[in-house]
Amino acid sequence: MAVTVNVTSVIEKLVGGQRSFESLGDSVKSLIENINETYPGFSDQILEEDGELRRFVNIYLNDEDIRYLDGLNTELTDDDTVSILPALAGGE
Amino acid sequence: MAHIPNEILQAMVDHAMDDLPNEACGMILIGRSDRQMTVHRVTNTAASPYRYEMSPLEMMKLEQKRDSENLDLFAIYHSHVASAAYPSPTDVRMAFFPPGETDNEPMFPETYYVLVSLENNKPDVRAFHIKKYGEISEESIESEN
Repeated sequence: MAVTVNVTSVIEKLVGGQRSFESLGDSVKSLIENINETYPGFSDQILEEDGELRRFVNIYLNDEDIRYLDGLNTELTDDDTVSILPALAGGE
Repeated sequence: MAHIPNEILQAMVDHAMDDLPNEACGMILIGRSDRQMTVHRVTNTAASPYRYEMSPLEMMKLEQKRDSENLDLFAIYHSHVASAAYPSPTDVRMAFFPPGETDNEPMFPETYYVLVSLENNKPDVRAFHIKKYGEISEESIESEN
């Protein structure tokens, strides 16, 4: 499936300085693998060593957080938009 | 020194008060040419008095607005409802990607981190840069009419 991937300024350094690009994947997991083939080291920043999504990274399929869908197994269809966004957080 | 109009300072304090008992968070954007500042409230998805987490989708939309309207991210602000207007260890840790990797460049090296404290009757607003290795550098605020 061909999908559009949006990232923010913090992540763009990991994908050759682009904010938006096309990639392929039948699921979020395979999308990350495909991006990692083009940009080695990408998945290390996005996934834990056990392959789970890092706590401080948010991935949205269209406007839905994949944690509330099927996580990394969430299926993708043509023309979907996937946004990969770091958390901006803190507190006392 | 951070030059911030009084109305912008007041808008951040108003937001902090409106979101009590939880922490409030948001961004100040500034025009690259006209230097006009605007305050953008962002939903604190943590909805907590002790923590904030900016809505990632709202953040992305503000970043797209920055790109399309020739704006810069002047400041990231949040409130501390019962502690001082000073970055907490969590604030510093989360200024890096991945969090706590203070050997990396911070995510927003040029951007002020503005803290609004409501711990006393009179709100306190202070501005900082968070630098590599987690160094905190306070920048005095010069308010302007």
